[in-house]
Amino acid sequence: MTSRSLQNKAVGLAVSYFRKEWSGALLAILILAIAIELVTDGKPFFHPTNLMTILNNSAAIGVVAGGMTLVILTAGIDLSVGSVMGLIAAVTGYFVSYWGFPPWLAIMSGLAMGALVGIIHGTLIAYLGMPAFIVTLAGLSVWRGAAHLSTGARATPELPDTFNLFGRYNPFAELRADYKAGELSGFMETMGAFVNEHWMDFFRTFQMSMIIFIVFFILLAVVVSNMRLGRYIYAIGSNEQGSRQAGINTRLYTLYTYVICSMGAALGAMLFLGRAPYAKSDYGQMWELDAIAAVVIGGTSLFGGRGTIIGTFMGVILLKLINNGLTLAQLETFWQMVVLGLIILVAVGLDIVRQSKSAVKVQRMLGVVALVLALFACLTPGSALISSAISLHEHNSMVVMQAAGLDLAANQTARLLDAPAVAELQAIVSGNWQSFASLLLLVLGAVAVAVTLKRSLALILAAVYVATALLLVSMGMAAVAPLLILGAVVLAGMTTVPYMFERARTLEG
Amino acid sequence: MKLKKMLSVMAAGALMSGSVYAGSIGYITKSATNSGWMMINQGAADAAEEAGVDLVTVGPAFQGDLSSQLEVFENLVAQGVDAIGIAPVDSSGVAPAVNDAMDAGIPVVAIDTGVSGAAVTSFVATDNYAVAKVQGAVAATLINDGDAIIYVTGNQAQSTGQERRNGFIEAFKTARPNSEILEVPTEWDSNQAQEGVEAILNSRSDIKMVANAWDGGTMGAKAAMENLGLEAGDIKLVGFDGATDAIEAMDKGWVHADTAQMLYQMGYQGIKAAVAASQGKDVSPRIDTGFFLVTPSTSGAYKDLVGIK
Repeated sequence: MTSRSLQNKAVGLAVSYFRKEWSGALLAILILAIAIELVTDGKPFFHPTNLMTILNNSAAIGVVAGGMTLVILTAGIDLSVGSVMGLIAAVTGYFVSYWGFPPWLAIMSGLAMGALVGIIHGTLIAYLGMPAFIVTLAGLSVWRGAAHLSTGARATPELPDTFNLFGRYNPFAELRADYKAGELSGFMETMGAFVNEHWMDFFRTFQMSMIIFIVFFILLAVVVSNMRLGRYIYAIGSNEQGSRQAGINTRLYTLYTYVICSMGAALGAMLFLGRAPYAKSDYGQMWELDAIAAVVIGGTSLFGGRGTIIGTFMGVILLKLINNGLTLAQLETFWQMVVLGLIILVAVGLDIVRQSKSAVKVQRMLGVVALVLALFACLTPGSALISSAISLHEHNSMVVMQAAGLDLAANQTARLLDAPAVAELQAIVSGNWQSFASLLLLVLGAVAVAVTLKRSLALILAAVYVATALLLVSMGMAAVAPLLILGAVVLAGMTTVPYMFERARTLEG
Repeated sequence: MKLKKMLSVMAAGALMSGSVYAGSIGYITKSATNSGWMMINQGAADAAEEAGVDLVTVGPAFQGDLSSQLEVFENLVAQGVDAIGIAPVDSSGVAPAVNDAMDAGIPVVAIDTGVSGAAVTSFVATDNYAVAKVQGAVAATLINDGDAIIYVTGNQAQSTGQERRNGFIEAFKTARPNSEILEVPTEWDSNQAQEGVEAILNSRSDIKMVANAWDGGTMGAKAAMENLGLEAGDIKLVGFDGATDAIEAMDKGWVHADTAQMLYQMGYQGIKAAVAASQGKDVSPRIDTGFFLVTPSTSGAYKDLVGIK
């Protein structure tokens, strides 16, 4: 095989990758995972147990988002999933704790209630023609209220161990316990020894949450891509009237999607109870937004007809990975909120660029990615600098207002600082402003590259990124360097985009 | 009953009929579903019953909803209640409305959270900052200097969350200057606490303690430990609030210290002060309802005091 045909193969693979709806989300996951791995010390991120923890904690919201995907594929929406999840969690726990139901009966009742809620929503939407947004907005309020009313909004005691089967139960735990007790022999003993030896670095977080989550998505993906239900859902989402004329019972299949969605919320409730301290009616608040965000980040169109189940899987992982990574990186609370929003914007931006099939737009998006990376790098000196500068400015303003003889309110005088505090803040400002300003220059450079798309400018900026990274490492800000190196790679990669597109075109032609 | 009153407040507000509630006390709570708040609300209800006044209790649609709280506040003022007890969801957000009510001669008692930018008749609360300093100092005695710990914060956009965090960290750092404190930020959501604590415990084996800004966080941290197969006492838990489930977890060896606010007292004293003010009696502008340091050795006494069986 010549190097030319190898290259062709690589270009072909890249093209078919970017044709996938979920490529944007996966790319975002990879970039982010590498960035988080590099900025956290002790390299805890790419550890199997941490990755499994992310999966475990994605399970409940993931199942909810999986059901939501079907509804959004039909161009519908379900705003009630968070409330339904809370209702089912609370009532299931209540059945067990206060009505004396055996756990399995309570779980079955909970899932049946989920189906009932879905039938109510689906009937109102599909057969009475009420807007899905309104029906489920009403549901958001009604089911939350019903949950509080039926349980008095009180937490249950700890739930029986059966619920652990939906969450923290570890299939290897018994094997390990038996091994430790010396009750095993032969092959099982070898297995036990293996599990015990790798307990802390692998098997510890191998739990039911994760297994159910993955199995659920495989089943759902099979249903959607291979069964009539899935084909009809796409058909309804692309053109409802056309589907009806083609003989599809659109109302029935729309009803089905809402039933599956509410049952997904009910199953999500069980998964949540498997890891939570108790059952309570305020669980799942704002989950509708997280679920919709996960679906959209995964490349599914809010207008229906286009999207995949696997994309939603990636979307959920991306959201939970951001939370996990930002916690491990110990970024300040309010900055976490800002960073979370920016990452979601970039992930969805990647998806839009992917659909455009234009080399210029892809280059522009890569320019923006480099910009965002430089912006994140700015945060290290920037967060301390900005908050110190704001405090100093407030102090100075209060001093001026006091000198002008104004009557200050208590929360205004609270902004006045004593001399050592002022000196400390000034030291922070003077110690950080150079690095902050130089990183800000990189951001401006990335803006220039994203606007002009000049090849030479991009390559120069990539070199400047690397140089700044090295400089900052020598100044003791090593955490910033990986973000800049990644930015340099993105910038250098950007210059090859037109060439790649050219090659891809000749391949297709 | 509560729903009926809520509906009638709304209906009355719509009619603007005026002085429907003469002779009654308005009580605006922060939450009707949080277990801590339910204790405060109980105290408020009992105080009103004892004094023989009618208590009109209203809560926001969800925790932290300032606009709906302002709306019910203005409705109560328009209806001419004799006094208002309010737990502001936002210290400065309610200030203009509180000023209007005080100008109209309606005494306002702030419960749990103070009002900044307006004078109130009385402020009835535990001093969160002072109690958090006690929590931090006690937590420091449970570990050695140099041990890493996790602190689960409350909402850092609210004064309660800020005071508890600042108090804890100040006192803890003074006693254990070489200990690393890893923070798990939350908005008073036990699920955020569970996931954050789980992530850190999983990646670091040197964590000796998890201290929490409220007991929902304590229970979330306990669930995180259980999710990782840890046993009671493997990592020490320190709580704040003295909620029933945290005290039960203490009896089982999970929680080692908990600074309890006297929640019931807060509601009880708050409404008592509001009644007194409405009758023209003198009321102290600051009523500190104190706290109780619950440890395994004092948990029995605490349970007797607040009536946990």
